[in-house]
Amino acid sequence: MLTAEELDRYGRQILMPQIGEEGQEKLKKSRVFIAGAGGLGSPISIYLTAAGVGHLRIVDHDNVELTNLNRQVAHWTADVGRRKVESAQEKLSKLNPNVTIEALSVTISEENASGLVAGFDLIVDAMDNLPTRYLLNKTAIEHRVPFFHGAVNGFEGRAMTVIPGKTACLRCLYRGPVPESKFPVIGVTPAVIACIQATEVIKYLVGIGDLLSNRLLAYNGLNLKFTEFKVQRNPQCEHCAHL
Amino acid sequence: MIPMEGDEEGREVAVKVNLHLTLRQFTNGQEMVEVDGKTVGECLKNVVREFPAMESSIFAKNGKLANVVEIYLNLQSAYPNELARPVKDGDEIHVTMMLAGG
Repeated sequence: MLTAEELDRYGRQILMPQIGEEGQEKLKKSRVFIAGAGGLGSPISIYLTAAGVGHLRIVDHDNVELTNLNRQVAHWTADVGRRKVESAQEKLSKLNPNVTIEALSVTISEENASGLVAGFDLIVDAMDNLPTRYLLNKTAIEHRVPFFHGAVNGFEGRAMTVIPGKTACLRCLYRGPVPESKFPVIGVTPAVIACIQATEVIKYLVGIGDLLSNRLLAYNGLNLKFTEFKVQRNPQCEHCAHL
Repeated sequence: MIPMEGDEEGREVAVKVNLHLTLRQFTNGQEMVEVDGKTVGECLKNVVREFPAMESSIFAKNGKLANVVEIYLNLQSAYPNELARPVKDGDEIHVTMMLAGG
């Protein structure tokens, strides 16, 4: 049941026939796991908080650094040195006190991933490295919950939504390990990709629209082009072939 | 553009290869290269023949694709066995790179 304050706060999106009060109540009852409070995680968590998703668990083990501030918009100059999740939690709680924001400053690992995501409706991939992305992809498949992938580099980004057992997963396209490196990026790129991921999350939670499944959306901000690549499940995929 | 050699029936086979941003440093900014070849692998080798400095960015030392490279044929993932995929006149290959940043 939505309160009078919530009806007012979310009035403009409740006006949308695809959402309405029923959709807003679905958002309110939802529990979303966000892996990462950086360039992607900041706008994702801001927009899901603003939209009224009831419960967010945000996990990130880093502290805020000055070099983060060109893109990680949940963190401000005075936050340098603080834990990212605490910095994000403070802003998000002020943005929308109706939303429960859990801030966990831990490293996602093989040992804790399953326990961290247990009880959540979906996983949002806002990580900055491939090994943890694959770990989360595997964990999403184990828990049979959707996985919302996004990644960026420079002016480029990509997004894809994984429905375990039904659509291609991140590992379906795996060729082998890729060396890690410090990636260049300007804040507008993760903002674009994060908003696509948040859009997908909202659509999934409300049960509307067509998801970005079996489709990899590639964005190039330099020439402002979106390219959609079709992808398919890999029958030999070591993460999802058994489903 | 590399001269067309023609397919088994003597027809010329032209394939457009769209190059990822990071590869355009080797082509003077050229985004698309038109080459011939009967497979994705042949087409990519012909691109490299035209722009040899690109080789280590696409291929690993064992001649396989570098792990970071993704190949799409007519906007469809060519994975796995990308290099062996047959191509026909008018096909379009996209060479892209996996992204990991967030």
